[in-house]
Amino acid sequence: MEVTLLLEATENAFRIMEKARAHALGVLDTAVQFTGEQTRFMEEKRWQVLFAGAQRRKTRFQNFVGTALILFAFWMLLSGHFDPFHLTLGAICCIITAYLFHDLLFANVRVGDMRVVALRFLCYIPWLIQQIVLSNLHVASVVLRRKMPINPQIITFKTKLETDISSITLANSITLTPGTITMDIRDGVYYVHALDQKVADDLNAGEMEDRVAHIFMEADHLYVEDVLDAARIYDALRV
Amino acid sequence: MIRDSQDVIVKTLSRLLVPFMVIYALYVIMHGHHSPGGGFQGGVILAAGFVLLVVSHGLEQTRKRLSEKAAGVLSSIGVFIYAGIGALCLILGGNYLDYGKLSKLLPVVPAEARSLGILGVEIGVALAVMAVMFTIFLVIFTVGEFQEDDRSEK
Repeated sequence: MEVTLLLEATENAFRIMEKARAHALGVLDTAVQFTGEQTRFMEEKRWQVLFAGAQRRKTRFQNFVGTALILFAFWMLLSGHFDPFHLTLGAICCIITAYLFHDLLFANVRVGDMRVVALRFLCYIPWLIQQIVLSNLHVASVVLRRKMPINPQIITFKTKLETDISSITLANSITLTPGTITMDIRDGVYYVHALDQKVADDLNAGEMEDRVAHIFMEADHLYVEDVLDAARIYDALRV
Repeated sequence: MIRDSQDVIVKTLSRLLVPFMVIYALYVIMHGHHSPGGGFQGGVILAAGFVLLVVSHGLEQTRKRLSEKAAGVLSSIGVFIYAGIGALCLILGGNYLDYGKLSKLLPVVPAEARSLGILGVEIGVALAVMAVMFTIFLVIFTVGEFQEDDRSEK
């Protein structure tokens, strides 16, 4: 009798211990899994930080080299002495300056399209000069007329330009053209003073803005949308 | 008092202009013995570049490049270079700033040594002028908030 009771008790004890072991193993497994996940997460984060740091350092180095080369070209243009002594001086000066100001020249440039932008900008200059000559003649004729039919006004328009470089290119082009002066750009809205109705209308037609957008490759996606006429394609796909 | 300028035209143009201003100033300094210009003029242009950066991009952006403390140290270094070259000539047996005597130290003829000595003196003058101009500008235009660190400690 006592033996059976004892056996039963032992069995019970074994069962409880077994259960406890299974429980402990489960907890341990969860802990290991959790730690593993934590470690993997930390690892990934560390790699991410490393990668971002490397990327940033690479960009900074590229900016540094680009700034130094541009400044060295400017130095040679100014200096005119091409003996080793002056070239070394120039190189040292350029490296110091580029180290101090490497983040200024290429602050908001999208990488990879510099050559196209430069080419288009060069093509833009003759058109701008032509516009300046034309509006010079217009303003002269208006001012020299006996009644002087001027109609000064301030026009505002919202721009579609995105980067700061394109905005100031447009603003300075407007100011360079006689009869119109850019007074302010606030939140993408231009405040322009115009001398009479004709120059104001010319500006509102927006050819200059389109050309500036073309230089800095900002209008391209708009053109693509226009040409493709997305709605018709979607209709065809739905059927 | 000096905040970030909100004007996109001023900000972008000064961003593009400042490196060229600084390199032009360095050109004026380094070619002082060949063409008009020299230490003082170059130093003033250099300081103007930093001042433009302060006006357009705010004080914090400029502090990263040239802090007040660095400006103070640079002004002392500039004076030290100037006086040091002068005194070196004195030690080498000439008059004060008698650059020709520098040929005893440098492996060049006295005429060349004169040119190099003037260049060194000009660099010293330019550093001193730049740092002092910059410091004066900061002190005048940041009255009341010049040393923010000290005030926050109190």
